[in-house]
Amino acid sequence: MSKPTPAESCSPPSQPAQALPDELHLLVEQHVQYVRSLDTRKDEYEYWLTEHLRLNGLYWGLTAVHLLGQPDALPRREVIDFVFSCVHENGGFGAAPGHDTHMLYTVSAVQIIATLDAFDELEERVDGGRKTVGKFIASLQERDTGTFAGDEWGETDTRFLYGALNALSLLHLLHLVDMDKAVEHIQACENFDGGYGTGPGAESHAGQVFTCLAALSIAGRLDLVDRDRLGGWLSDRQLPNGGLNGRPEKKEDVCYSWWVGSSLAMIDRLHWIDSNKLAKFILQSQDPDRGGITDRPGDMVDVYHTVFGLAGLSLIKHPGLMEVDPV
Amino acid sequence: MSGHGVPRVSAADDTRDAQKEQKKIEEYRTIVDLVNAKIAEREYTLEVLSLTEKVLKKNPEYYTVWNYRRLILQFHIETALTNNHDASISQDQPSDGRSPAQDTIHNLLTWDLSFIIPLLMQFPKCYWIWKYRLWLLSRATDLLPASWPKSLWNKELELVSKMLARDERNFHGWGYRRTIIASLEKIAQEGGDGESNMVEQEFEYTTRMIKSNLSNFSAWHNRSKLIPRLLDERGANNEDRRDMLDSEFSLIQEAMTDPDNQSVFFYHQFLMSTLSPTNPRHAAIALDLTNTDRVAIYEREIENIKELLEDFDDCKLIYQILLQYTKEYLDFEAGNKTVTTAEMREWLAQLRKLDFLRNGRWNDVERDLGL
Ligand SMILES: [Zn+2]
Repeated sequence: MSKPTPAESCSPPSQPAQALPDELHLLVEQHVQYVRSLDTRKDEYEYWLTEHLRLNGLYWGLTAVHLLGQPDALPRREVIDFVFSCVHENGGFGAAPGHDTHMLYTVSAVQIIATLDAFDELEERVDGGRKTVGKFIASLQERDTGTFAGDEWGETDTRFLYGALNALSLLHLLHLVDMDKAVEHIQACENFDGGYGTGPGAESHAGQVFTCLAALSIAGRLDLVDRDRLGGWLSDRQLPNGGLNGRPEKKEDVCYSWWVGSSLAMIDRLHWIDSNKLAKFILQSQDPDRGGITDRPGDMVDVYHTVFGLAGLSLIKHPGLMEVDPV
Repeated sequence: MSGHGVPRVSAADDTRDAQKEQKKIEEYRTIVDLVNAKIAEREYTLEVLSLTEKVLKKNPEYYTVWNYRRLILQFHIETALTNNHDASISQDQPSDGRSPAQDTIHNLLTWDLSFIIPLLMQFPKCYWIWKYRLWLLSRATDLLPASWPKSLWNKELELVSKMLARDERNFHGWGYRRTIIASLEKIAQEGGDGESNMVEQEFEYTTRMIKSNLSNFSAWHNRSKLIPRLLDERGANNEDRRDMLDSEFSLIQEAMTDPDNQSVFFYHQFLMSTLSPTNPRHAAIALDLTNTDRVAIYEREIENIKELLEDFDDCKLIYQILLQYTKEYLDFEAGNKTVTTAEMREWLAQLRKLDFLRNGRWNDVERDLGL
C-alpha cells in the first residue's frame, strides 16, 4: 500500500483506504424508487416523528426526482394539494397540516410552487395569492438590523434571511424588503477567514456561508466577497477521502457537497477542490439496496442527504443528472 | 437536522417488530391528537402544559408544540397580570415591591426553565429548545424587576459553560453564550446592577478554555472577535494596542509547536489579518502601524514559520500559510528581503505533492504570484 497523501492532517492516516467496488454508478432507479416510497411509510414510527419536516422533505424529494430527470415521479396534483393544505390565513406555511407557520416551510412551499409552475393555483387557492405570501415573508424582517426571524416568536438567523430573499425573488416581490439593510447585516456576519456565521460574532460555518453568498447573489452584491480568502476556506473543507466538512476539524458529510460546492461555484472557485474524489465519496454514500444517499458511507439514508448528494453531483456535472443552479 | 450519523441497517437485518412499532405509533399519535384538540379548544391549562411535555420528550423537534407551551404560559401570565390589576385596586402592594403577579410569572418561567434542562442535555443540537429557552428568558426580562432576570441569565451562563465543557464546538452554545452576555450587559446598562460590560470576563473565559485545550477552535474564534472590542472598552491607547498585538503573537508562538493543530494556525492567520491597513476598526488591534512596522512583522513571522519546516517538512498547512503570507507581504511592496522566488517555487511544488486535491487552487496561486 502506498502512503496516502495527507491533506488535513500531517500524520499519515492510521486506517488503510477502504477497498472500492471497481465501478461506482449513480443508482438512478433506486433513488427514484426511494423518493417515491417516502410517503408510503406510515407504518414506521420515524415517519410520524419527522412530520415537522414534511413540507421541506417534499421539496427535497421533488428536487431529487427533477435532478434525476424524472420530474413526474411524484404526482403533481397530490403534491400541490398537500402544499396548500399547509397554508395559513396570514400567507405563511407550516410543515404539515395543523403545524404552525414558519419561514423554513413557507420557503419550501414557494420553491415547490415554482418548481411545478403552480403560480396560477396559488392565486386560486390562497386568498390574495402571491402577495399574501410575500407579505408574510417580508413581515419577518427586523427593521433595525435587516435580518429575518423564522416566525412570530423571534430569533434570527442568516438561514431565514436567505430563505426570505430566495422565496421573494421567485415571487417577484423583492421590493417588499429593505435590501440594503439585509446586505449590511450579511456583511456584519463576515469573519476574517472570509466565511460567515449564523449572526454577527458567530464562527464561520459552510451552511451559513452558502446562505450568505446566495443572499448576496440575489441582491446582486457578490462584489462584496473576498473570493480568494473565502475560496481558500471553502476548499480546505475537502478531506482526504474526497468528502467535505462544514467547519475545520469536523467530519465529512454528504450535505456539505452542496453547501460548499455551490458556494465555490458562486465565487468561480469550484476548480479549487477535486471533483472526482468528491463524486466518489457521494457515490459511496448511496444505499445500493433501497436507494437514497446518507451523510457518509454506511449510515442510514434520508431525503435531505439524498437531494444534496445529487445536487452536489449535478454541480460537478456528473453524468445522468440535470443541471442545477447554485443559488 | 435528522439523519446524521445513524448507522445503516440492511433490509435483511431489519428486525423491527411490526407490532411493537405499531404500538409506538399509536401511543404517539394519540397524545399528539389530544394536545392538538385541546389547543384548538383553547384549553390553556396546566394539565395541557404537561401533555405537551409528553410529546416533546418523544419528539423535541415538534416546533408547533413548543409554540403551544408559549400560548399556555402567555395565557397564564396575562391572567396573573389581570388579577393583579384587579387586586391592586382594592389592596396595597406587598412591601417588598414584588406583586403577586410577578411571583406567579417568576414561578411559571423558572419552573419551565428547569423542565427543559434534561431535554437540552439530551438534544444539545435541537434548535427549537434553545429558541424556546431564549423566549422564556426574554419574557422574564420584559415582565420582572431586573434583579430576577439578572439571576436567571446568570444561571444560564453557568448552564452554557457546562454545555460548552461537554462539547466545545457546539455553535448553538456559543451563540447562546453571546446572547446571555449581551442581555446581562443590557440589564446593567438600563440601571439594574451588574457589569454593564463583560468583555474582560469573556476574554478571560476564552483564555481559560484555550489553556485547557489548545485546539479549542471555537474559543480561538471568540477571542478574535473579543479583542477589538476589549481594546475599545479599555480605552486603550496606541501603545496598549501594540502591546496587546505583541502579547498575542507571543502566546501563539508558544502554541505553534504542533502543525496538526489547525486552531493555532487559524488564530495566527487572524493576527496577521489585523495588520491590513484597510481593516475596519472592529477587525483591527494596533491602529498606528506604519508600512515599515507591517513589513517587519511579516518578515519576523515568515521566518518563524519557515523554521517549523525543519521539523515538519511534510505539512501542507505550513507551505500554504507561507505562500499566503508571502503574497500579502509582497503587496506591501516590501522590497522582499525575506523570501526568494526559488523558495516560493519549492513551497508550491511541495503543496502540489502533498495536497493534490487542491491542485486547481495551487495553479491559481502560481499565476497570481507570477511563479
Ligand atoms: Zn449532513
